[in-house]
Amino acid sequence: MLRRAHVLFLFCAALLAGALLACSFGLAELSASEQAAAERNLAIVVNQSNPVNELTMAELRRVFLGERGHWPNGRRITLVMLEPGWPERAAVLTSIYHMDEAEFNNHFLHGLFTGEVFVSPKTLSTPEGVRKFIFNVPGAIGYLRASDVDKTVKVIHIDERLPGDKGYKLHVPPREGK
Amino acid sequence: MGREKAGRKREAMPGTSTGPAQTWGRFSRYSSALLFFFTFCAVVVVGLFVIRDLRRADKDEQNMFTGSVLSLHRIAALEYQTQETRRSTLYALGTADSNLHVKYADQSREADHLVSEGIAAYLANARTRNELDIGSRLRRDWSTYLSVRDEVLASILEGSAKEAVDRDLTEGVASFDRVRQDLAEIERVYDQQAAQQLSNVDATSRRTILRVAGVLAITLVATIASVWTIQRMRMTGAIQLAKLQMEFVASVSHELRTPLAVISSAADNIADGLVREKDDLRKYGAAIQTQSRQMMELVDQILLFSATKDRAGHAAFRTLDVARIVDSVIHQTAGLVRASGFHIELEMEPALPSVRGDASGLARCLQNMIVNAVKYGGESRWIGVRAFLRHSHLRGRSEIQIAVRDRGIGIAKSELARVFEPFYRSPAVVGEQIHGTGLGLSLSKNIAEAMGGHLTVESELGSGSVFTLHLPIVGDPGSQAAEDPGSQAAAENGVRGTTEK
Repeated sequence: MLRRAHVLFLFCAALLAGALLACSFGLAELSASEQAAAERNLAIVVNQSNPVNELTMAELRRVFLGERGHWPNGRRITLVMLEPGWPERAAVLTSIYHMDEAEFNNHFLHGLFTGEVFVSPKTLSTPEGVRKFIFNVPGAIGYLRASDVDKTVKVIHIDERLPGDKGYKLHVPPREGK
Repeated sequence: MGREKAGRKREAMPGTSTGPAQTWGRFSRYSSALLFFFTFCAVVVVGLFVIRDLRRADKDEQNMFTGSVLSLHRIAALEYQTQETRRSTLYALGTADSNLHVKYADQSREADHLVSEGIAAYLANARTRNELDIGSRLRRDWSTYLSVRDEVLASILEGSAKEAVDRDLTEGVASFDRVRQDLAEIERVYDQQAAQQLSNVDATSRRTILRVAGVLAITLVATIASVWTIQRMRMTGAIQLAKLQMEFVASVSHELRTPLAVISSAADNIADGLVREKDDLRKYGAAIQTQSRQMMELVDQILLFSATKDRAGHAAFRTLDVARIVDSVIHQTAGLVRASGFHIELEMEPALPSVRGDASGLARCLQNMIVNAVKYGGESRWIGVRAFLRHSHLRGRSEIQIAVRDRGIGIAKSELARVFEPFYRSPAVVGEQIHGTGLGLSLSKNIAEAMGGHLTVESELGSGSVFTLHLPIVGDPGSQAAEDPGSQAAAENGVRGTTEK
């Protein structure tokens, strides 16, 4: 009787260990996949003090086109862009502006000249620069690869979705150097 | 002869070598010791104060450094970082490059982080209420400035340089001035503390210098006083010795002159043919013989003393029968004793043990003691000689004591310490024209010490004196140990001992 109880106990322990092992492998695989997703997703980030948490894609487009000058708290909107050549910039031009580089430049030249655009975007050379700029300017908005985001900036929902959520529309090709 | 030294009056005669010189000698010895002691105490006490001062000064200096100097250094660093915070912000105005804007913003934030840490450290180390108040005010003012700085920085980064400048001029400058004033006040407080601590160190330093100078002055004065005292003692001793030697020469000359006068007179009478009868010639011859012997005896004694003092004398030590030597000396001096009208009362314990020494020296010593008793025995005309065995607790040995007592004029207490000094003769004795060389007792003392013993005196003015010769007995365990001092004394006196019986 006692031997049977021992055998049963050992069997249960082995099952539990196997389950834990499988879970850890599964979690590791999940984490790797999440990391890959973060690498592919493009996050729209604002200053932590910005009251805005969510924008629709249409609103986001208006902001990025410079057609909206201020946030609801009265802060002036400052658009931050990466220099040409960055995949993030290419993704934004494609996904938000629906323009190429030339059209983008023409848009802002024309807009500033006509007064339809309130402020021209600030161009920074690195994602880290973008992040720091947004950290220092309360009304700044920009974009970063989700894997480049940290606590100094705030990621906002686009169409009620955050990077990594199903149906999130902003993506960027995997990083292969600049 | 030794008793010639003994004073017959209570006070020393004026103009003699006793009294002031002796008193001065004692005073010098005691005062030198006291002077040394007081100097030592003074130096130790002042030295302790000096050590305490030095430690206090060291502590003050450490406090000044760790408290004020380092704090001033920290405040200077803090001032630099505040300037750096503002400077980096304003640098950003000079460019339109957003990347440079970000770089300057980073620099400004790093500097303001250091300032915040410095303020927190200052508040943590603040000890006084004033320091806490200033620290709190600085933290508040710095926080106010930082909020303005953030706005200015944001405006610059947004590209609104005019807005940034306007804000900086209206709010930034004022708030930054307040921060600078706070820092200046902290610096002033530290300056005051440093000045106070510097003043403490300075005061301690001055006090230490004064004390060290005091120690040196005390030591110098004490050294001069000691040297002066020692020189004075030596000079006094030399003067005394010279005086004693002069007295000795005069005394010896006098002692020689009397028998020489008798001899010369007798010789003149014989030469002039005044003495022709055989009986007269015999009488004159006997007188010349007696006087010659006295002179020879005197000269012998002087030579013996000289020999013992110069360590040139030699004596063979052997086991001596004290009773026989005492009897022999009494027999030798019987003529003198009888002629002086004295009688000797002898009391001797039976079967006295032997002593080791020089028979002739012991006989000379006893003879001197008996002759002294005859000279100063006074009107009682009585001399007591007693030989007995006693245990000396002081020396831890058994010894034979031979005491020669008289009922004569005695010795003043002030003279007792000096009666064994060579050439010393009491002014009272000189005044009463009692002849002598001043060597007898000194010679006896040297002989006693050469044999491992010693000579003591007890006396009372007007009642008489007792001179006691102490000799260690042969075979006594205690005397073995006591033999060394004797041997030492023998060596000092130039007497070489032998162990043969």
